[in-house]
Amino acid sequence: MIKTFFDWLKQPMGMIAVGIAFLVLFSVAAFGLYQTQQAPEQPIQFPHKTHVAFGIQCLYCHPGASKGPSAGIPTQEKCWACHNQIQKTQTSALLAPLKDAVIGNTPIQWVPVAIVPDFVQFNHRAHIAAGRNCEECHGDLTQMTIYENPQVMNMGWCLNCHVEAAGEDQEKLIKLSDCGTCHY
Amino acid sequence: MSEQFSRRDFLKLAGLGAATTAVLTGCGPASRYVKREPYMEMPEYTATGQSTYYATTCRECAAGCGLVVRTHQGRAIKTEGNANHPLNLGKTCARGQASLQGLYNPDRVTDPIKAGSPLPMDWDAAIQVVADALKNNKPEEVAFLMGMAPDHLFDLVSDLAKETGMNAPIRFGALGMFEARATLSQAAGNLFGEAGLPYFDVGGAQVVLSFGANFLETWLSPVSYTRGFTGLREAQTKQRGTLVQFEARMSATGGKADEWIPLRPGTEALVALAIGKLAAEIKGGAMPRAFAGVDVLDAASKSGIKLETLEHIAGMFANSAGALAIPGGAALGQSNGLEVAEAVLALNALADNFGKPGGMSISALAPDQTEYHRPASAKEMQDFIQKMAGGKFKVLFVHGVNPFFELPNSLGFHSASKNVAQLISFSTFRDETAREANYVFPDHHGLEAWGYQRVATGAMQPVLSGAQPVVSPFYNTRATADVMIAAAQLAGGSFAQALPYADEVEFLQTKVASLLGEADGSFSAPNPQTFMAYFQQYGGWWRNMDGRVAPSASGALNRSIKGDMAEFAGEGEFFFIPFVSPTLAEAGANKPWLQELPDPTTTVMWNTWLEMNPETAHELHIENDDVVRVVSDAGALELPVYVYPAIRPDTVAMPFGQGHTAYGRYAEGRGVNPNDLLGQHFNEAGDLAFAGMKVKIEKTGKKRPLSRLESIMGVYGEGLGEEH
Repeated sequence: MIKTFFDWLKQPMGMIAVGIAFLVLFSVAAFGLYQTQQAPEQPIQFPHKTHVAFGIQCLYCHPGASKGPSAGIPTQEKCWACHNQIQKTQTSALLAPLKDAVIGNTPIQWVPVAIVPDFVQFNHRAHIAAGRNCEECHGDLTQMTIYENPQVMNMGWCLNCHVEAAGEDQEKLIKLSDCGTCHY
Repeated sequence: MSEQFSRRDFLKLAGLGAATTAVLTGCGPASRYVKREPYMEMPEYTATGQSTYYATTCRECAAGCGLVVRTHQGRAIKTEGNANHPLNLGKTCARGQASLQGLYNPDRVTDPIKAGSPLPMDWDAAIQVVADALKNNKPEEVAFLMGMAPDHLFDLVSDLAKETGMNAPIRFGALGMFEARATLSQAAGNLFGEAGLPYFDVGGAQVVLSFGANFLETWLSPVSYTRGFTGLREAQTKQRGTLVQFEARMSATGGKADEWIPLRPGTEALVALAIGKLAAEIKGGAMPRAFAGVDVLDAASKSGIKLETLEHIAGMFANSAGALAIPGGAALGQSNGLEVAEAVLALNALADNFGKPGGMSISALAPDQTEYHRPASAKEMQDFIQKMAGGKFKVLFVHGVNPFFELPNSLGFHSASKNVAQLISFSTFRDETAREANYVFPDHHGLEAWGYQRVATGAMQPVLSGAQPVVSPFYNTRATADVMIAAAQLAGGSFAQALPYADEVEFLQTKVASLLGEADGSFSAPNPQTFMAYFQQYGGWWRNMDGRVAPSASGALNRSIKGDMAEFAGEGEFFFIPFVSPTLAEAGANKPWLQELPDPTTTVMWNTWLEMNPETAHELHIENDDVVRVVSDAGALELPVYVYPAIRPDTVAMPFGQGHTAYGRYAEGRGVNPNDLLGQHFNEAGDLAFAGMKVKIEKTGKKRPLSRLESIMGVYGEGLGEEH
C-alpha cells in the first residue's frame, strides 16, 4: 500500500499534493511561531499604563525581581489593599473579575507573557544587580494596557545584550557567553 | 484493501505522524501557554519563585526522625532529613522520602464520615458525636487505642484520662510487635533492675554480634542505626569493625554482615550462652554464673553451628576492646525470647562495655519524661481485646494505628469490635479500621499537622522532636487534638477542666513552655512565644548532654540464665519467620514509590512472596513463582515462592506489609498478610512468639509470576535445582 502511495506521489498531481501539504505544514508552523509572540488572553484586562501613571513602582507589585529568579505576580490581597478603597472597583465591569476573585476567595488565573522555556535558567536578580532597568527588556509600560513583549525573547536577543555588556573585557565576555550561564 | 499493511509501514506512518504533531505543537502557542495562580494571601516570609523550608518530624514510623520539607508556592515538593536533628543528622529512609505520597494520596478521607450515610458530616456534628461519647458513657467504658509514637496527642489523651477516670490510652504498632520491644525492655529490667529501651552504640564498636536484630532495615530506629553502621565500617581513623549476624533468614543486615550464621531457630539463647562461656574461658578468671550452665558441644550440635565457628566468634568477641552484642527481631519473638534477650545482654556485661563508647546503655529519656513508657505488648493487646469482646467498652477511639491490619487475626480484634457500640476512627486514609468504624473523623496528614514526639531511642541526647504544618490542609480534615479539645469543652465538667485549651497549638505551647527554663538545651529563649518559634525553626529541642544511662553491671552475670531451646507451635516441618518489609511495613503499602521499590534482598516488588531454600524447593519439586499453600495452626495462605539461597533449608520466611483489604487503590488486593498465620503464642514478656511456629507447605499447582528487578534465571538460577 505504501509503495503505490509513493508511486502516486511521483505523478504531477502527486507533486502538487506534496507541495500543498508542505505549504500547509509550513504556514501552520509559521502561524504557531507567530502565536508564541502574541500576548495571550488574560482573565483581567490589566492596564499597566494606568498603574504606572499613578506612580506605582514596578517592584511594588513584582518584588521578586530584585530578590530571585521570578518577579512574581502580585497576590490579590495586594491588589485589594488599594482597590478596596477605590469606589470604581465596586461598579466597573472591567474590575468585576478582581472583585469576584477576592470575594469568592479563588485565585486569578493569569497567563505569563514574558516566559522562557524550562531549559533556560533566567534570573531577574542578576540583571537588576547589573543595573538594568525593567523597561530595557520589558518595554515602555507607560504605553501598554495588557503586557506584550516588545521584542522576540530568544537566545540571539539575550546574547546580543550579553556581548555588548562585556565590552572589551575578555573574562566577562567568557562568563556572559558561556552556555552554562543560562543552561544548567 | 488487497495489500497487507505491514508492521514496518505502520511504524513509518506513525513516526511521520508523531514528527508532524511535534513540529506543529512544539512551535504552537500551546506549549508556551501556561496559567499561573498567585497566592491569594502570600505569607510574608515567602518570596515568589523561592522555596520555603519547614522543619518537622517524620510520622511514617515511630522513630521520630527530623525532616526539612521543601515547599514551593504552598505545596510540599521534597522531604529531606533535618541536618540538625540528633537522631538522623540529615538522613531519611525510603519511607520518609515517600511521605509526600501520603500527603497527595488520592485515597485520603476528605470529610468526616458516618458509616452507612452517603453524605459527609459537618465537623460540628462530628464533635457533638465525640462529646456525647465522652459524656454519655461511664469513664471506664471509653477506651483510646493509639499508634506507637509517644506524641503530643498521647499526652493530651493521657491528661484527659487522668482527670476523668477514663481508661489510660494504650499504644500499639505492628513494628513494635515484630521488634519484640516489651521483651527487650523487660530483659533490661531483669538484668539491671530498671526497665528501659537498650541503646547499642554500633558506630563505636569493633566487633558486633547481632542476634536477629535487623537494624539496617526496620529495627527500633533504622536511620540512626544505619549511621552507626557506617561508623562501624569506617576505616580511616580506626580499624574497620566486624559484624556477625545470627539469623536463619538473611536480612539486608545479614547481607551486609561479615559473617552470616544461619543458626537453627530457637537456639539463639544456647548459642549466646555458649559464646559467652567460650569468651569467658579466653578472658580467664571465674566463670560467670550466667554462662556456667551451658554445654558448648550440645549448643553447637543443636544450633547447627560448627564448634570451630563458635570458638572463632567467641575469640573475636573476647579479644576485642569494643565488643557489642545486640538481641532483636525474630530471635526474641519465640517462646524463650526473654531468655534470648537476657543471654545476649549478658554478653555485653561480659564485654564490660556498659556506658562506654561502642557499648550498651539504656536509651536517653525524652526531656520531659521520667520513665520509659513502652507500647503495649501483644499479650496486653489480648487483654484489651478480651475486654472489648466482653462488652466492657462502649466507645473505642482509634488513632495512628490500623488494628484490623496490624494485629494477628487470631487475637480476634475483628469479632471483639462487634461488641463495641461506637468505634470511632481518626484515620487519614481509608484503611481497614476506617472501613469497619462507625465514624471516621479524619486527622490531617502528618505534613499538615502540629505536634511533637519523644524520641524513644537512637539518639545520644534526650530529644523532643517538633512538628508543624508544612502546607495548609488540603481537605476538610481536622486535627484529632482539636477535635478532642472541642468535644471536651462541649461535654463540660471534668472533661473541660482536663483540657482547658483554645486549640491544639495552645496545648503544644503550654507543654513545650515547661522546657523554657532549662539551661542545657539546644536553644533558650526569653519568653514562651520566642521559644515556640525556635522550636518550630529547629524542628525540636534537645539537651546538650549524653542522656544515656550506663546500667549497673554487677547483677547481670550472677544470674543463671536458662539455655533451653524454644518451643514451636504447630504441626508443620518448616520454621516460619515473618519479617517486616523495610519499605511497606504497617503503613507504606499505599505509596506507589514504596511498592515499586525493590525489596533489598529479593528485589521483588508489588507483592508478597515465600522465601524457600533452593534445596528444599528441589526436594518438593517447587520452582520460582509456584503458588504454595502455607498452613499454620492458626490459618492458611496461598502465595508464590521465591527461591532464596540465603535461608536455611528447614525455614521459610514471608514479609509483612501487603495483604490490605482496604487502604486505597495502591494497597488493596495485593499480596497476603503473614499476620493471618500467627497464633496466640506469647513469650514470657508478653510479646507475640511470631517466629515460634512451624508451618506446612502444600503445592497448589498454580503459578503466579512475581515482578522483580533481577532476572529469574539471574545469579542464582544455575545449578540450583531448576530444570534447564
